[in-house]
Amino acid sequence: MKHDITIRINGRDEELQVGSNETLLDALRNRLKLFGAREGCGVSVCGACTMLLDGRPVSSCVTLAALADGKEVLTIEGLSANGILHPLQDELWARAATQCGYCTPGIILAAKFVLDENPRASRDEIVEQLAGNICRCTGYLKIVEAILAARDRLLEQTEKGAGACQSTSR
Amino acid sequence: MTAVGESVRRIDGLAKVTGTIEYTINLELPGMLHAKVLRSTHPHARVVSVDASKAERLRGVRAVLTRDDLKRWDIDPYYGPVVRDQPIVAIDRVRYIGDTVAAVAAVDAEIAEEALELIEVEYEDLPAVFDVKQAFNPEAPRIHEQMRPAEVSFADTHALNFAEGGPNVVTHFMLRRGNLEQGFRDADEIFEDEFVVPAIQHLAMEPHAALAAVHGDGRIEVWSSTQNPSVVREQLAEVFHADLSKIRVVAPFVGGGYGGKTYPKLEPLVVALAMKANHPVRLILTREEVFYTITRHAVVTRIKTGVKRDGRLVARKCEMLFDTGAYADIGPRTSKNGGYASGGPYRIPNVEFDSYCVYTNKPPAGAFRGFGVPQVCWAYEQQMDMIAERLKMDPVEIRLKNMYEEGDPFFTGEILHAIPLKTLTRKVTEAVDWKTPSRPSSPTKRRAKGVAAMIKSTMTPSLSAASMKMEEDGSVSVLTGTVEIGQGSDTMLAQVTADILALPVSRIRVVHSDTNVTPYDQSTSSSRSTFSMGNAVRSAAVEVREQLMQMAAAQLEISPNDLECREGKVVPKGSPERGLGYAEVIRRHFGMGVGSVMGRGTFKTTGHLDPRTGQGKASAFWFTSAVACEVEVDTETGDFEILSLVAGVNAGKTLNPRLSEGQVEGSVLFGIGATAYEEMVYDGGQLLNPNLLDYRVPTIADLPRDLRTILVEDPHREGPMGAIGIGEPAVAPVAPAIANAIARAVGVRVKVLPITAEKIFRALKGQADQA
Repeated sequence: MKHDITIRINGRDEELQVGSNETLLDALRNRLKLFGAREGCGVSVCGACTMLLDGRPVSSCVTLAALADGKEVLTIEGLSANGILHPLQDELWARAATQCGYCTPGIILAAKFVLDENPRASRDEIVEQLAGNICRCTGYLKIVEAILAARDRLLEQTEKGAGACQSTSR
Repeated sequence: MTAVGESVRRIDGLAKVTGTIEYTINLELPGMLHAKVLRSTHPHARVVSVDASKAERLRGVRAVLTRDDLKRWDIDPYYGPVVRDQPIVAIDRVRYIGDTVAAVAAVDAEIAEEALELIEVEYEDLPAVFDVKQAFNPEAPRIHEQMRPAEVSFADTHALNFAEGGPNVVTHFMLRRGNLEQGFRDADEIFEDEFVVPAIQHLAMEPHAALAAVHGDGRIEVWSSTQNPSVVREQLAEVFHADLSKIRVVAPFVGGGYGGKTYPKLEPLVVALAMKANHPVRLILTREEVFYTITRHAVVTRIKTGVKRDGRLVARKCEMLFDTGAYADIGPRTSKNGGYASGGPYRIPNVEFDSYCVYTNKPPAGAFRGFGVPQVCWAYEQQMDMIAERLKMDPVEIRLKNMYEEGDPFFTGEILHAIPLKTLTRKVTEAVDWKTPSRPSSPTKRRAKGVAAMIKSTMTPSLSAASMKMEEDGSVSVLTGTVEIGQGSDTMLAQVTADILALPVSRIRVVHSDTNVTPYDQSTSSSRSTFSMGNAVRSAAVEVREQLMQMAAAQLEISPNDLECREGKVVPKGSPERGLGYAEVIRRHFGMGVGSVMGRGTFKTTGHLDPRTGQGKASAFWFTSAVACEVEVDTETGDFEILSLVAGVNAGKTLNPRLSEGQVEGSVLFGIGATAYEEMVYDGGQLLNPNLLDYRVPTIADLPRDLRTILVEDPHREGPMGAIGIGEPAVAPVAPAIANAIARAVGVRVKVLPITAEKIFRALKGQADQA
């Protein structure tokens, strides 16, 4: 059976016709060619397919696309507007917290949720909430350091009242 | 200005943090079909019949590949880097649960999957053997009827003895040095132990994937998540009888390798399917299928060591059984590496090492970060602590007493260089405050520190070549077969180029791993890219620089010897204001605003071991590392926590500190996974945990609160700027260092990985019951 759905993806309404058993991950990869989310395990353990659905992280590999009808999805492609990186993206890059890069979008989105919910999240809180995102390359230390640095930058921006993200240095 | 030694950002980093990086799984071609694989449900069986007629009739199916196609076509349907033992799909037999029986190409993956169920296969079971000791037995059922050596094989495998020692022995590596019997007679104490390491999985987050197109003029194109496009190309040429120049293998960015994507994996199958379907075909493995594709060798090590009362090691005999599963893959070389590494980083005058690569009816084992050394290090570094304990010596002291030093001959007889083992051991143990005990967090817990060290070779002989072109605007393209698997090779090679050509890294583009355009490179493995490709790229850059200087010399009417390259210009020494930008030099040279300056570089290493004695030269350079840690063990539950861990690695010269640390930190977490969690669990030949729910890998919560990296710089005389690789050395010492700490804390010696709370708890309970 096919379902006609509308999902607001990265700020733009997308009308899709999806199968009953089609996952959100497959719909976005195969139909919209959004390749930032990837399947790693297919069983909602590794976090490589993490997207934010109405602001909350979901494993898109086990989320039915039809159930996202009328909802809002943020993928990594929607995070950096106009070539300006989100501080999480910039810090992961600057601190070599990405190696093969496969898990990176999921880590960034999961961390964004943590910091959205709790802008002053401690190291322990960050570690606890990112335990659902596996990275096989980095050994995690640089990921923790990058998220803490991004947290501090975001806090600083909030305190300055600056709405926009800082532009990146190469 | 120099880019070397700076933590410049990864040049592929922007694409990675924005999710736009190109992996094989993202690639599509017009008319592309999707493939699925039918896998054996029997561990060892004769294939009586394969009937694909119903599957072929399913709507949307474009091709079903079976053994009938392999028999009909003019091809050699077997592949394998050392012995060609693996058929594209099963021909006479299946040899493990998960073995490839047939494959379907269809318009979408769901239809392909559905078609698998319509393929009818009749099996006739054969006796199977799962335990490596049983498989090693002369009476064991034979898994392969014949041995087909690869036509183009690796020179270093000539050091092996083939098919000697039993029906399932692929290769036997032998090393003999000194007089073993005399050595044991001279010993005051003799230690004899057996240590076991189970099979584990690489678990790269990106599964294996390959896309193939076969053209009407005979050209074959493959895009694959491979770590060595050139070997894949050679093997496809052997299988499909094609010229190398007609086969194009492209390796897009790879989502993690760790050895699991070396040598052919899916490529022969997707090419055969594309050939049959007359359409491009893409295959992406499921996570479960990855577990059936390649693993790390389970190894049983028997180690017997003779020592003098003062702690000097005088004799060692090691016998290792490497369980290579149903197909050898690169197991022969892995077992060779583990073979000569089993003596550890210690001077032992009298040794005999025998390592066997043995078939069993389980998924194939191949290259895995550390390449045979973690398995033997698990044995020799634990036994080292057992020796120290019996002799009442400090574990650090006994190691320092025996460790190799610069200029010592290795077990193979070759002279060791740039192996700062003692420095590494001292630094990591000082970093954990070795001599100062720390207080446990509760009265029922115990704390202790542990240490381990290792030495490892790199693939030798080997060859890397690179090309370089400077474009007319002065920017540079580096053409290299090195695959960016996350290790940062693109960035490292750009830094080396930037250093020679005095350019910012941002002006250098690395064009990687497309056999149509990049020159030969043996492999992105063995932590060899910094050393080998680094040198090749360096030579290519020097060639470009020399041409620029020649051109500028003519233009400025000055001797090239009086010129140098600085900040993107060729400048007369001492008068930089007269310098010419590279674009200007090229423009003046060609007399127009176009043209390119080409550079070439080839780097070759040599070595050879005698197959009966293992004497000769095993390695172009040696990796050395040491790990020290502190653990706390809960005596009530057996659970343990790694409180701190310090890994020391010789980098030769650190080209990019952050990226280098990342390699070591990643290695440590690999080591922690293998120590505490990872094991492929079998019931007979049936794998019980081929998924991430049941197979646990380290998460961010497993990061030790205090994890530190120490990069020592003992430069190698042949390394680019003195550098050697750092991708693997920290893996091996992690498990024995933790095991040693646990033994020192609670007196429990775990000899079979992984170290679980249950094993410690049962041993503690045993101690209590005896008391």
